[in-house]
Amino acid sequence: MSEYQQYLQERDKIDFFIQKGFTIKSVTETLNGSFVDFVNEQTEEKERVTLHVATAEGRKYFSVMILKQQKGA
Amino acid sequence: MADLRINLAGIQSPNPFWLASAPPTNSGYQVQRAFEAGWGGAVWKTLGEPILNVSSRFAAVSFNGQRVAGFNNIELITDRPLEVNLKEIAETKKKFPNHTIIASLMVEPKQEKWHEIVKKVEAIGVDGLELNFGCPHGMAERGMGSASGQVPELVEKQTYWVKEVAKTPVIVKLTPNITDITVTAEAATRGGADAISMINTINSLAGVDIDTWNTIPHVAGKGAHGGYCGPAVKPIALNMVGECARNPHINVPISGIGGISSWRDTVEFLLMGATGVQVCTAAMHHGFRIVEDMIEGLNNYLDDKGIASVMDIVGKSVPKYSDWGNLDLNYKIVARINNDICINCNKCHIACEDTSHQCIDMLKAANGESILQVREEDCVGCNLCSIVCPVDGAIDMVELPNELPPMTWNERQAALGTMACDADIIKR
Ligand SMILES: Cc1cc2nc3c(=O)[nH]c(=O)nc-3n(C[C@H](O)[C@H](O)[C@H](O)COP(=O)(O)O)c2cc1C
Repeated sequence: MSEYQQYLQERDKIDFFIQKGFTIKSVTETLNGSFVDFVNEQTEEKERVTLHVATAEGRKYFSVMILKQQKGA
Repeated sequence: MADLRINLAGIQSPNPFWLASAPPTNSGYQVQRAFEAGWGGAVWKTLGEPILNVSSRFAAVSFNGQRVAGFNNIELITDRPLEVNLKEIAETKKKFPNHTIIASLMVEPKQEKWHEIVKKVEAIGVDGLELNFGCPHGMAERGMGSASGQVPELVEKQTYWVKEVAKTPVIVKLTPNITDITVTAEAATRGGADAISMINTINSLAGVDIDTWNTIPHVAGKGAHGGYCGPAVKPIALNMVGECARNPHINVPISGIGGISSWRDTVEFLLMGATGVQVCTAAMHHGFRIVEDMIEGLNNYLDDKGIASVMDIVGKSVPKYSDWGNLDLNYKIVARINNDICINCNKCHIACEDTSHQCIDMLKAANGESILQVREEDCVGCNLCSIVCPVDGAIDMVELPNELPPMTWNERQAALGTMACDADIIKR
């Protein structure tokens, strides 16, 4: 899979969780890329998901989402 | 005709083109011929206790047919007595009262030595002084030149000693043989420098003869490191000028030196914060008359842009020069190959395939002709293909409309940092 295709998949997943009402709560940056923790505060059980974002474009993308999230807050 | 006059820390010059302190400014005969050719100023070959030079002093690095891409020397400061130089400076100033003569000075790091030479030199009438804290060879072994120029305290102290007695503006010439030139530039301003100039030469060994195993140049079979200058050092000099120009603690004018050979180079240095330029290697390579093209080119450039005075462009690019962390990570350019112009040499494909991101495909057009095409989604906009392309206009780097809002690394890190704090609060 081309890196671009991998980025599109990562972006889709990030968009998917954001659309479902998740927000990014924390990011752990490692040698293998970033692990992005999403929490859905709207649900009672405060559902959590962690996405592994490996591509450079993907890591830019979730960062933009964090900035948007903070501006919107 | 634009106004080419400059004023650098109170030093007036008919144009921004000065000869740097070096062999072209060794004598009155040379400096007078240079002024006749059109140079606005000259920084006299460094004065101090006359030295002894070796024979076989220069070497050049030629690259793929370009002669003197870089120039290397192991020459020291003037080897002529001070009184001879001063007499010729006085004669030259008398003949060319409106041209700028700066005396370059280098003595041991002792207060009385600086006082003595400053008084003697100013007594015959110069427009300013340049302190040579940059010569990287020979003099440095004696504690002078770059040996003092690499120690901020010594730069500050010696500048201060000079300022104690100097009546004309003092320019401190800095060595590039240091990790961060802004540190010594700041030291110079703390010492009271009226201006700074950069760069002197960069430590270098021009080459090794693979048959004789001698260094190039060698002196009876032995070599020593020299100082590198000429076109190859221009990017290093330009960065150092830019770093000083954008530093809020360095508020003195800059005289730009290093690899300047044309009016275009000059404009770049002025835009990046230099108030004037000094030239050595290009004059040594092509003679004094290169200044004619430099004056004409600069004048035309300013006229074309409708700019009345050369001083109006000084520093115009400085606000555009920043730290990497302030660059927009979401700005995107990609390569586009113009198949009408492309000669199908495949250099871009090879460069991209072997050493970049494998995004240039070799395809067959409908008419069966070979064509090269960029897969834009995989192109990171590195510029390599357009750099290696031998044909002007065959590859354009084009801006893509922003899909994402601008975001710098610093903004990203700040946002992630805030989030980490939030997480801590939640945990607690
Ligand atoms: C042969 C030679 C001798 C030089 N001598 C001096 C000197 O005496 N004093 C000084 O301040 N710089 C000296 N320089 C350095 C130049 O003034 C200038 O800083 C350097 O060459 C960079 O400019 P360029 O790339 O235009 O040559 C010398 C350079 C060369 C090539």
